[in-house]
Amino acid sequence: MSAMSPETILRVDELSIVYRTDRGDVRATNDISFDLKRGEAMALIGESGSGKTTISLALIRKLPKNAVVTSGQILYQHDSNVQDVLGLSRRQLRSFRWNDCAMVFQGAQNAFNPVLKIRKQFEDTARAHGWADKTAIRKRALSLLELVRLDPERVYDSFPHELSGGMKQRTLLALGVLLSPQVVILDEPTTALDILTQRAIIDVLNDMQRKLQFSIIFISHDLSLAAEMADTVATVYAGEIVEIGGVDEIFYRSLHPYTYGLLTSVPTLEHAQDVLQSIPGSPPNLIAPPSGCKFHPRCSFASDQCQVDSPPLQLDIGSHLAACWHKDRLLASRKEDA
Amino acid sequence: MAGSPMLKLLVSLPLDLLRGLYRFVHRLSTNKPGFVGFLGLLLYFFVTFIMPDFVEFDNEPKLDQIAGPIGSRIQLAVHRDNPQWDSLEALAGKTVGVVDQTGGPSFIEPWRDTLAIEKYRWTSRRQGPGIPAALTDLANKEIDGLLIFSKTVNQVIVEQEDAELRQLFQDNVIISNSTLGPPHLLGTDTQGRDIASHMVHGGQILILTALIGGVIATMIALFFGSLSALAGGFIDKFFTALANLFLAIPQFILLVVLAGIIRFDSTLYLGVIIGLLIWPALLRAIRAQVLSLRERDFVEAARSLGLSMNHIIFREILPNMSSYVLINLIFSITIAMYFQIGLVVLGLAPISDYTWGVMIYFGRSRGTLYNPDGASMALSPVLAIALFQVCLVLFARAVEEVFDPRLRSAG
Amino acid sequence: MLHDQQPLATDQQPPAPNLSLMTARLYDPLLKVYRNYTARVFLQAIITIWVVMTLTFVLVRLMPGNPVDVLVEQILTAEGISYQEAYDRIAASFNIDKDATPLDQYLQWLGDLLRLDLGTSITSPGTKVIDEIARFLPWTVFAVGTGLLISFVLGIFAGMPMAYYRGSKLDHILSFFSSFSTGVPNYIWGLLIIIGPGISWRWFDIGALRGTYDVGLTPGVNAEFILSALEHAALPVFTYIIAILGTWMLSMKSSTTGVLNEDYVNVAEARGLKERTVISSYVGRNAALPLFTQLTISIGFVLSSGVVVEEIFVYWGIGHLLFQSITVRDYTTLQGVVLLLTAVIVFSNLFADLTYGLLDPRVRVSGEK
Repeated sequence: MSAMSPETILRVDELSIVYRTDRGDVRATNDISFDLKRGEAMALIGESGSGKTTISLALIRKLPKNAVVTSGQILYQHDSNVQDVLGLSRRQLRSFRWNDCAMVFQGAQNAFNPVLKIRKQFEDTARAHGWADKTAIRKRALSLLELVRLDPERVYDSFPHELSGGMKQRTLLALGVLLSPQVVILDEPTTALDILTQRAIIDVLNDMQRKLQFSIIFISHDLSLAAEMADTVATVYAGEIVEIGGVDEIFYRSLHPYTYGLLTSVPTLEHAQDVLQSIPGSPPNLIAPPSGCKFHPRCSFASDQCQVDSPPLQLDIGSHLAACWHKDRLLASRKEDA
Repeated sequence: MAGSPMLKLLVSLPLDLLRGLYRFVHRLSTNKPGFVGFLGLLLYFFVTFIMPDFVEFDNEPKLDQIAGPIGSRIQLAVHRDNPQWDSLEALAGKTVGVVDQTGGPSFIEPWRDTLAIEKYRWTSRRQGPGIPAALTDLANKEIDGLLIFSKTVNQVIVEQEDAELRQLFQDNVIISNSTLGPPHLLGTDTQGRDIASHMVHGGQILILTALIGGVIATMIALFFGSLSALAGGFIDKFFTALANLFLAIPQFILLVVLAGIIRFDSTLYLGVIIGLLIWPALLRAIRAQVLSLRERDFVEAARSLGLSMNHIIFREILPNMSSYVLINLIFSITIAMYFQIGLVVLGLAPISDYTWGVMIYFGRSRGTLYNPDGASMALSPVLAIALFQVCLVLFARAVEEVFDPRLRSAG
Repeated sequence: MLHDQQPLATDQQPPAPNLSLMTARLYDPLLKVYRNYTARVFLQAIITIWVVMTLTFVLVRLMPGNPVDVLVEQILTAEGISYQEAYDRIAASFNIDKDATPLDQYLQWLGDLLRLDLGTSITSPGTKVIDEIARFLPWTVFAVGTGLLISFVLGIFAGMPMAYYRGSKLDHILSFFSSFSTGVPNYIWGLLIIIGPGISWRWFDIGALRGTYDVGLTPGVNAEFILSALEHAALPVFTYIIAILGTWMLSMKSSTTGVLNEDYVNVAEARGLKERTVISSYVGRNAALPLFTQLTISIGFVLSSGVVVEEIFVYWGIGHLLFQSITVRDYTTLQGVVLLLTAVIVFSNLFADLTYGLLDPRVRVSGEK
């Protein structure tokens, strides 16, 4: 791969991860590569079990014990200093986590220690990264809590159970950016929240990102969220990135039948569709994945070639890449539909 | 017409049970300590329920107040000059020394009339000359024979520190014990009776009593616990309050007090009382379990399908609780065991049956507990009870781990 | 605790001369007491003790042979006085009016209890039961309390690594030990200690360790007495520790295993917190919470099962008194001991209920509601 441009903050390079289980090795991700630029918001979309979460956990090295990284690198560039996250020592890793790369987990309901006040948990986090001035922490925390549109004083001195789900989610966001990380990973930031709270969270995120200038990787199967927030969208299927490109390219000119399938399976306000389609079949067994293109058993465009050869991730226009032998047929069929 | 399904059931039920048992043991064998516990319990069953038919309970006091160490036999020592005195019959009319622990009035009942008996203090190697004194008398022909309860007589002779005495014994004393029986595997109790035979016979009633206590407690807890959880409302409040009230009373103390009031004529009756005492904690556990099962999807589904309460209880909830109930049953058996033996050790329970507990009680009250050579009388039942409890716990824990998916490790 | 109840000021309606409202006003403070968590728990404790008291009273009356008659017989034969004379004397020392109905006796007894008067011992007249209990109970509380606390702390520290290294050799060894610890009854442990280290190996002199302190010492705050007391308590305490430790280890293991799967632990690690902080403030604290409730529940069990252990080591605690009073049929003492033990259990549960909120903020809120 080419040298990292100064604009690139994170580069994932041919990352392969395997889960060792009793029933065999699960190939959770397979040769995943992408670059994340400064201030960019990238969405990883795909069905559950596609490997999105595995990628994000690998970025902060929080994979389950039975996961093994079989190949690849995760390069993090900071102050023109490039480190491989996978090669960090324990101590470096501890400092990397949250200080450089924070992760806001799915379901913030239980993300806070129930017996400690929010204040204590902010202070713990700051102190673990060498910041001991309580007044300064408080000032920073209150301003962040205000940024996520909470009543800062009240929330700061609350116990987690005194906050509602949406409040906890926003508090976790505030905690996530406490140390001004360069990268924030959001795992399903809006699932399990009601629609109004979802809205508020999205607004807060957009707002924060504009003000604080960090890069975002977020994982979602909520395409509307992706459309609204992301600059870049990557579609993950069976542990591989099958399509990656700018948000408009993906949504208006998707080149992979799977991405297209995901898009047509959700109703959108913009394109009122008569028929909602779902993708037939179910996600493949990752212990013994299908040959060739892993999507071919579920793909209406599949040909003999798809069963044998795995399509490479190829550049189309601009920065839009897709791994499909039949992009042209897909595009043609969409024109017909239109 | 009606006979044929019945017949089918008669054939298939035992087969199903066997298959179920096989699967159970097979799955259990993945858990090593649990399997050991299971085998241990089988061994206990064999020893306490089957072996009594083949081993006679030794109830014949041979000597008073002498407890023999593990592996001991009654040894008859005579002077080298008289090797023909190899049995008590042969010694008729002669003076026989008895090594006695207490120095009190000890006798060999059946031989009282035919033998003149001379007593010597029992001694251990640490407590000074007792056996040596007797041996000296024997060597000097002041007595004609000497009955000793010990596997260590030869040792006493060989290890005698006084070289002169050692020589004296070696020159004069021989052991002639051909008629006095095989060695006692676990030694003998204060009356010279074989402890091993008591061990074989002393477990059955204890285990039965504990089983009765455990089953009664589990049944009460299962019935009222599920009722409480399923019915809710006043019934739930009532039983929870009742259980809490009972939990506030120190149960073992209550049993001790009851033992002071009621004469437990049989140990099985004791089992029933124990069962009636220990259910509250169990009830709370089962109630909690039913409550959590009630919220599970499959029960919800059954309810929304309009299936009857009976169906839900007997088809949906109980089968899913079977391993949990089994675990609770086993733990209540250990508690029942604890209660009844505690009572016996205190001397408050019936001692009509000669159980392991009674052996401990007598071992303590007759002082063999404090005698290293005679400790077997108390030590054997103590170890038997300890290992039985451990087997139960290991087994229960294995059932918990193998059959409760929440506890199965995720790698 | 009654001062915790809400002030009546919240009731802003002017008093109306309406009968139903009057009764409502009458019940209002009672309701408030009931709604107040602290007061409610207190009330429940009192009721529990009262029920147990009554039960004990009934049990004693159900005993075969009237204790008075038993004593009267004794005095009759010993002193050769008339039946009436003997009866009067016993009844007087018993604090029982001979003409009183059982109900009167019950009420009389309740009244005495309220004044903390547990009556006098039957077998040694003149000895107040309360004094006897005061003489023996502290030793039990001392031994059981020390054993419970030490085993609790040890169990917490041994249980956490078991959960952290599930399936490892360490886990297997500790689990195996805990099966022994929980399965083997405490008095069996005691007997094993006596037979093994005590008699066979002669590590200490069992005979010299009878009682709660060396004969000839006067209780008081002096080094000799304290050392002697500790020495005498050592074996019972050690027995309690070894017999309870396994339970704590397993509880802590399963509790920790649960907490380790919690999101907040995962998040805490992702936050780059120091391992020490995660283990102590995040995992340890949450995992230990449910164990505190268990601690108080076990107080009852250990206190009552201590009877046999005390008897085996001839440690003169409450178990010894209880056992003595049963063997000589000293019913008043028996009654007092059961009552006192129940009170200890009920109040330790109460204490736990009230202090649990200090440990778990979630309960603090719902408790006040």
